[in-house]
Amino acid sequence: MSLPLPALLGALAAAQANEVAPALQLLGQPGAPDANYAGGTAATSALMLMLAAAETAAGPAREAAMADAARSLLGPAAEGRDSRAAALGERLAAGDAAALALLAAEAEACWQAIAIPLGLPLPVPVD
Amino acid sequence: MPAEHLARFLSAHWGEEVSISGLKRFHGGSARQTYRFDASAPSGRREALVLRRDPPSSLIETDRLAEYRAIQCFAGSAVPVPEPVFCDTGPDSFGSPGFLMREVPGGTAAGLLEPEPYGAYAGAIGAQLFTALGHIHAAAPERAGLPVMQPQDAARARLAHWRAAFEADRFRPEPLLDAGFRWLEANLPPQPERISIVHGDYRSGNFLHDGAGRLLAILDWEMVHPGDAHEDLAWACDPLWSNFSGRPGATYTLAEAIAHWQAASGLMLHPERWRWWRLFAQVQGLVIWISAAREVLDGRSHDPVLMFAGTIPYRFHNLTLARALERLT
Repeated sequence: MSLPLPALLGALAAAQANEVAPALQLLGQPGAPDANYAGGTAATSALMLMLAAAETAAGPAREAAMADAARSLLGPAAEGRDSRAAALGERLAAGDAAALALLAAEAEACWQAIAIPLGLPLPVPVD
Repeated sequence: MPAEHLARFLSAHWGEEVSISGLKRFHGGSARQTYRFDASAPSGRREALVLRRDPPSSLIETDRLAEYRAIQCFAGSAVPVPEPVFCDTGPDSFGSPGFLMREVPGGTAAGLLEPEPYGAYAGAIGAQLFTALGHIHAAAPERAGLPVMQPQDAARARLAHWRAAFEADRFRPEPLLDAGFRWLEANLPPQPERISIVHGDYRSGNFLHDGAGRLLAILDWEMVHPGDAHEDLAWACDPLWSNFSGRPGATYTLAEAIAHWQAASGLMLHPERWRWWRLFAQVQGLVIWISAAREVLDGRSHDPVLMFAGTIPYRFHNLTLARALERLT
């Protein structure tokens, strides 16, 4: 995900206190100005908690698989998402199709990690 | 937004004591805070209104006056929009810059992950949606008070806009997005035959329908700007807004969408520009999602909607951009 997992988890914790808890206070008060907003905020937060849990579960195995796949091309730079992305980006800028294939594979694995728990398929082209 | 604040403002405008009831904030729409309410006065005057005002932290930086002028431009035309009422570019009226419109009753908008949001009416909605888009593109940008743009600047200006946003908000290596920008910069498209009003966020979820096949209103004009009409068409037809249906906006076929757009706009689809703007749509999307994540990362917002934007749409577009780049090589 664009948001690194530790940052997302920290943000979610802050959101529970600053957004969701006040929102929950409003649920059940249909006359309150923000009751409608509160329901949406609580539901979106719940969805994000579920995705964060899915990412926590899937992340380590995906990271190991992606590092393994890139190691022969990148050496030690294959370890860790940001190091690997930077190194693959340099190769991609030089026209290396293998780098693009590795980035595409990682993008697909990242999508699947959150799509499968939500029952979503791969993106469907509009052609 | 306290009801007392709105009552005070409307009482001054109506010249009588106004009461506010049914005040409700809508969820989503991170670029604006949106409220609906009923205003009534002793004379019997009663209006259902919608307020859109700037939030403290936004998904995208936008211009509320440009949005208001665009809605004014199309009020009463073949492009269905809410009726504009009043705009204040300062904080005096609503606590932050914002504007009032009349409420469009009975409308609903599609959710991003909602399967088949229009049911049996998908074709009818598609016909109205892409015809309305064509009508927008047939109108002269001066009518909406948009700045003058030369056709040769259309692609370059939008690319520079999103490049600047990306450079301001990037916080980790984004090799696919870098590659997308490189391709767009190296392959600028031919200039459009004319400059159009570009809605800027024309897509499923940003319009209201009545649930029975009638398009009620095009919303969310906060990103309106002058440019190439292909920009809007490509964004509207991006797979992210297709609810995994493979059909533009989860409506009907791409060929039908293009045919209706062409008939209403008087423009013809240009294959080279179309290819460029379709890739651009994914690049623009990724920058928006990264900017949303940056808001959260920097602690400027705890809104779960911004976390959602930085996760599901981000991963979606990162993958579709990777596949698009593979097809280009």
